[in-house]
Amino acid sequence: MSLNLLTEEQNEALQEIANIGMGRAGRSIAGVFDEFVELSVPRVREAGLDRLPAAVADLIPDETLTAVRQGFFGRVRGEAIVVFGITGCRDLAGLMGYGSALEDCEEDELLLDVSNVIVSACLGGIAEQLNADVCFSAPSVLASHVPPAGLFDRTSAAPADTGALIVEVNFRLERHSFACSLLMMLPADSMGAIRRALDDFLANF
Amino acid sequence: MERFEPDMTAGQRLIDMVDVGVFAVDRALCVRSWNAFMVAHSGLGRQAAIGRSIFDLFSDLPRGWLEKKFERVFALGAPSFTSWEQRPWLFRIPHNRPITGGVDCMQQDTRFIPLKDEHGEAVLVLVCVFDVTDAALLHRRLAETVSALEAERSEQQTLIARLAEAQEQLIQSEKLAAIGQLAAGVAHEINNPVGFVMSNFGALERYIERAFALIAAYDRQLDQLPPAVQADMAQMKADIDYDFMADDARSLVAESRDGLERVKRIVSDLRDFSRVGETEWQWASLHNCLDSTLNVVMNEIKYKAQVVKDYGDLPQIECMPFQLNQVFLNLLVNAAHAIDGQGAITLRTRLEGDSVVVQFSDTGCGMPPEVVKRIFDPFFTTKPVGKGTGLGLSVTHSIVGRHRGSIAVDSTPGQGTTFTLRLPLRQTSA
Ligand SMILES: Nc1ncnc2c1ncn2[C@@H]1O[C@H](COP(=O)(O)OP(=O)(O)O)[C@@H](O)[C@H]1O
Ligand SMILES: [Mg+2]
Repeated sequence: MSLNLLTEEQNEALQEIANIGMGRAGRSIAGVFDEFVELSVPRVREAGLDRLPAAVADLIPDETLTAVRQGFFGRVRGEAIVVFGITGCRDLAGLMGYGSALEDCEEDELLLDVSNVIVSACLGGIAEQLNADVCFSAPSVLASHVPPAGLFDRTSAAPADTGALIVEVNFRLERHSFACSLLMMLPADSMGAIRRALDDFLANF
Repeated sequence: MERFEPDMTAGQRLIDMVDVGVFAVDRALCVRSWNAFMVAHSGLGRQAAIGRSIFDLFSDLPRGWLEKKFERVFALGAPSFTSWEQRPWLFRIPHNRPITGGVDCMQQDTRFIPLKDEHGEAVLVLVCVFDVTDAALLHRRLAETVSALEAERSEQQTLIARLAEAQEQLIQSEKLAAIGQLAAGVAHEINNPVGFVMSNFGALERYIERAFALIAAYDRQLDQLPPAVQADMAQMKADIDYDFMADDARSLVAESRDGLERVKRIVSDLRDFSRVGETEWQWASLHNCLDSTLNVVMNEIKYKAQVVKDYGDLPQIECMPFQLNQVFLNLLVNAAHAIDGQGAITLRTRLEGDSVVVQFSDTGCGMPPEVVKRIFDPFFTTKPVGKGTGLGLSVTHSIVGRHRGSIAVDSTPGQGTTFTLRLPLRQTSA
């Protein structure tokens, strides 16, 4: 499903950057949760907007998914999406300072808080490798409890050539069960910026 | 990312001008700066705020949760957020719509932005409080409108379903009316032949009696005849089994008369009952109405319930008898349906002042209060499709209303139900 958004060299560089960035992210998250975090080796893939639901369904086998989106900007502009399975991240409520009986709006807020930690740690890690600053918009719920195909319903207005670089990372905490995947999506007009950033990285290597 | 500068005067002036609450806190969550927006809206001056813990300044902050949130901002060096949608407000600050708002304090989005020193370590967190009260109010009003519309829509959908049911019911009652008309016609047609058969039968009865009397008279003169003739007669009587025949003929006649009487009664009940569409006020005996309705539904009742009549002395009342028949029919059928196995239905009538009281008591299943509350609602039924339409009692209620009467129900689950009808003797304005 390669769209050739990046050259092979750039792709390898991104993979490398993601590896290092996620290592740092894992350490930051472990510090926040005060618990050992197991992170899968990030997998970098490309998918067109139309292939996204299928790609996400691949990542998480659950029948209904919940997703939180958060914009990032700086040298590279795009959106990060964190996709949760059916149980969301209820298991993390205690770690995040919530009481044990979550109300509906608290459950949403918890999702936003957890997503914010993951997005800022992971993107921050990557941005650091690229020697770039990154800022974040407030996160918001993209869709909750919908089948994979419904996740991007409201995204259909996006330009057809919007490509997504999916950086897939799976998280596991030692004493809590929860899984999520992170997608980093870049619009077509941001591809130039990331390519240049990767080229700079390669030049300094 | 913003860097913390010790000399903030220029920045402070800028920050004072923005229409956003901005203040900085250190790791101990004590306030280190406090902009003009915060002074104006929180009512706390700079002197009062700076140096104090935010938990002293805002006593109703969710402490454990917020401490964790700040910890994360310091640890990750990345911003954190709250949104009014999940958390309408974090800092209790009055808003700018004390009169027209209808919310208790400023609705807000907040940002927690780490301020880093030259080593990249977060040393302060800048808290930004955005007043989104107007947008939140608008959004909430919109959401209310949407949910009202949705409720209306689903109400409409049930109404449409009810309309379909009502149409079905209309067709059903059209059919019933046609059947009633047919029954009235048939009853009328049968009434004539039954009438002349009855009168012929009366004559026949008398003729037979007289013929037997004649034979008896002959018998008394039998010894006047020659012995040979006497023997012949005796032989003939023995051959035709005359004694049995004479006896049986009388009981055949009596039984047939009984049967004819019954046919006549059923035909006349059917005719009374099916006077379709009759809306004339007339003086009628409620006991006659009750009895003719009972005859019509007896088939449905007789295997389940014993019918006990406890009739008082009633004058005729001014009513629409056909409509009252329909009321009695509904109540009797409901009572029979309520009885599982064997039971009793008691009909009690009394005169009380200017009205008559008719009571239907059954020993059936009874009803819990939440059912009783709804039984007069059209389409309310607890019976399976095909057995109940849920219209019986609502029609009953409107007929009783038309008679300026009342209907009351008293029911005990597991024991039985009593419906009490009260009808005025006369319709004053009719
Ligand atoms: N005598 C009774 N005993 C118990 N329940 C009754 C009795 N009469 C009426 N009900 C309840 O009231 C409901 C409505 O009665 P009705 O309006 O006649 O409609 P239907 O008989 O078609 O259900 C019945 O479904 C039943 O639950
Ligand atoms: Mg009924």
